[in-house]
Amino acid sequence: MADPILVVIFLRGGADGLSLISPSGDKDYAAARPSGLRVARKGENVGYVLKNANADADFRFHPRAKGLSELYDSDELAVVHAAGLIDATRSHFDAEDRMERAAPGQGTSAGGWLGRWMNAVRPEGILPALAIGAAAPDSLRGAQGVAVAEEINALRAAAGHGYSTAIRALLARQLGGDAILGAPVKRLLSLSDAIEARVALDENGNMRAYQPSVDYPKDNPLSGSLKTVAQTIKLGLGLRVSTVDFGNWDTHVDQAGQFADQVNILSSALLAFWRDLENHRDNVSVVVMSEFGRRLKSNESGGTDHGHGNAMMMLGPKVKGGRMYGAWPGLANGDLDEGADLAITTDYRSVLAEMMAGHMGFAQTGTLFPAFTGSALRYLS
Amino acid sequence: MPLNRREFNLSALTLMAAVLSKISPAYASAQVSPAFKALNRLTFGAPPEAVAEFEQFGFEVWLDRELAKPASNDDLKRRLSAATLLIEYEADRDDQKHSWPARKDVIPYQYLGASGESLLPLIDFETLGMSYEERIRPAREVQAASLIRAVHADAQLREVMTQFWHDHFSVNSMRDEHTAAYFVLYDRMMRVQALGNFRQLLGEVTRSPSMLYYLNNEASRASPANENFARELLELHTLGAENYANDQTTSWADVPGAKEGLAEFYIDQDVYEAARALTGWSFGDGREVAAGDNAPLSGAFHYIDRWHDPYQKRILGVEFRANAGPMEDGEKLLDMLARHPGTARFVCGKICRRLLSDEPPTSLADKAVQVWSENFDSPDQIAKVVRAVALSPEFADAPPQKLKRPFEFMASFYRAVGAEVSSPPLDFIWTLSQAGWNQHECRPPTGHLDVAEHWANTNLVSGFASIALNALEDSNGAAKLALASATPKDVKSAADGVRFWAARLHGSPPPDDAAGFTAAQLAGDADAALPDDPGEREVLLRGIVAAAALSPQFLFR
Repeated sequence: MADPILVVIFLRGGADGLSLISPSGDKDYAAARPSGLRVARKGENVGYVLKNANADADFRFHPRAKGLSELYDSDELAVVHAAGLIDATRSHFDAEDRMERAAPGQGTSAGGWLGRWMNAVRPEGILPALAIGAAAPDSLRGAQGVAVAEEINALRAAAGHGYSTAIRALLARQLGGDAILGAPVKRLLSLSDAIEARVALDENGNMRAYQPSVDYPKDNPLSGSLKTVAQTIKLGLGLRVSTVDFGNWDTHVDQAGQFADQVNILSSALLAFWRDLENHRDNVSVVVMSEFGRRLKSNESGGTDHGHGNAMMMLGPKVKGGRMYGAWPGLANGDLDEGADLAITTDYRSVLAEMMAGHMGFAQTGTLFPAFTGSALRYLS
Repeated sequence: MPLNRREFNLSALTLMAAVLSKISPAYASAQVSPAFKALNRLTFGAPPEAVAEFEQFGFEVWLDRELAKPASNDDLKRRLSAATLLIEYEADRDDQKHSWPARKDVIPYQYLGASGESLLPLIDFETLGMSYEERIRPAREVQAASLIRAVHADAQLREVMTQFWHDHFSVNSMRDEHTAAYFVLYDRMMRVQALGNFRQLLGEVTRSPSMLYYLNNEASRASPANENFARELLELHTLGAENYANDQTTSWADVPGAKEGLAEFYIDQDVYEAARALTGWSFGDGREVAAGDNAPLSGAFHYIDRWHDPYQKRILGVEFRANAGPMEDGEKLLDMLARHPGTARFVCGKICRRLLSDEPPTSLADKAVQVWSENFDSPDQIAKVVRAVALSPEFADAPPQKLKRPFEFMASFYRAVGAEVSSPPLDFIWTLSQAGWNQHECRPPTGHLDVAEHWANTNLVSGFASIALNALEDSNGAAKLALASATPKDVKSAADGVRFWAARLHGSPPPDDAAGFTAAQLAGDADAALPDDPGEREVLLRGIVAAAALSPQFLFR
């Protein structure tokens, strides 16, 4: 059986978990927000009810989260609410940094939690770690062998150029031994060869466009990222972990319309990706997370400010989906974090640690999350 | 199926193993002249005429001349007024049933000198229908002009610091039509203030329409206030995340220094209170303030007193009295932040990191902080800090170790080869984005990060190779240059060409074995002559220049 693969989708900016998976029947929720910033229980734009909820609050997916609801109803997607980083920070960058490095008090030399996994396991494939975006996230810090690209073609140095062979030799000679650029240069050159050995090129030396097995939503910024991940998995390049950054969740103003668009992008692209994987779904798990949720009470400009607890979502061959995990703390003033935000009842590390042990087969999760002693939610079979 | 370890080694590392063993130590440790060192750090690169000017005046005089140069001169004005840029869109209509015809024109820049009031039609969605491309056009012109400025502006150091402040006070101009339309004002202000006084700059940033829209302060009113700008003001613009101590306490009185008059660090409560202090700092776009009361149509910053939260506040331990006069809360906040020792350390540290190295010596940062603090009220506070950094022994002693970022790489490439960048099409913005650089479109408000740990990845290497190989292609269109005509007549062989262009790009021609290797790779033979055919000659020279650009001597400054 092929090696297990983990895809981490990070919703940058602090996604409003209270609108994504909404306690629509909670009276404190209704009291804190105008109707446009809540998920409705009746009328035209009602949310999709979650079965097997963990509290009597009529939990509903956002009305634009049809794909997520479909995955949940088919028992593929699991949800944990009131999860997150327990540290008191409401800064995007501080929260992302702490979450992704996940080694409190150890400084930056400890790298990130996925970086520590890479260093412990040393996966042998040609492309063990792929960060989709312009740079690797902090979770992958400290690891060698991380490729960063928006699309696979960017992992071919000087692709299609008449001098591509010469420039590759010159990159190796001039920069291959450089203390800073040497590692990425060598990685890029070996990837260039490996990819070209297994994909068809057209007469101009360009890769043929990826042919997914299902249609991905068009004009959807997440589609391209997830297509690249699916293509990489199918090419058999030895992928083990992939990180996907999906931004624009920082909805301080006029949240209603913008958030609906974001949810639609996430929901439809994730559904397409999952279906596109076909039999690779036997090896691939997905975690969707964000640095924090948003304030329960909306501000005066139709938005919400930085909050605390949030929802996480998991897909995968061992995920016992169609259920909500974790304890729902409630939204009464005394139940909130600092009187303002959804409290955290599940440390995000317990979700990730269970995934790394149960799906990735890496039992020494103390290496990945030093000083973390929480127990598993048992969302994996 | 993944390659196994053996296949991996054989297929990919064979080439590298062969060439890595041949790296010449002399090639890696060549001395860098003071001119190249200073020009690479303080300007967008070192063409021969800049090196000559530097050597004519000497470092200190050259530096003072740079610091005194105004934001524009006749040459730059002429270049910008001669530049053109494509505008293209389909016929379409909007929700108000306005419609417009398709357009495809190459036209001069028209907004770089625009007033705020004259930009108002671009954000009028009620009465005017027009394409999105028309509405965001001012930002497109700033983006295109940024490459002309970086390559050709006489005031190079000012341009470097303008880019620094754009990253420090980052605005994604493409966030929406408002940020885009008003981005010309932001860019113009930044260039004027780039070497001036930080408190002045901070005030201009806070009141600038693009920033007001980007971080939503234009919409912030009592109550609850919108925290977006206030949080980034503390975290990114002044005190920095290094002075955020929210995991220590939730009570202002527990922060060290707070009870003695000024907190050393900030916590979330300071963010909340700072947001309250800035409520009502909005924009004159005719918006409805209350029933029957509209903001003026000024296209400029506008304070709305009835949106302001007037009651007492406590920020960093300092009490703000209730019912202060118009804008007094906000001005007092900016005063406090601009003079805070934490701000001095954070911002001076960033300046040192930009100009020198990822981890600048503490002694240098201390020196910068001292100059900064002695000149809180000087109109040229920032220039004085830059001067102190540039003339420090730490600056002179440090070897080139700072990895260029993609925009610097592209601009310094064009400068070094002597290319004419007259009317760059926006394709160069896309090319940069492939290497991870989003010129004036950086999504998060952090701006582009400034440490090699963030940049040294496969995406950057791939992007640099692509820029180096394609920057002079006709299809790119950003720059015009016939390399053959810029290559001296006595350069007859490919290896001579390699030596000439390496010396031109970074001042250190490679030893014979390296030059021969490059010639062999590009021309098939270490002793190959430059081809007689002009087309073939140009192609080979482009390869030679790309090879020189993809060397540590050119990539590190």
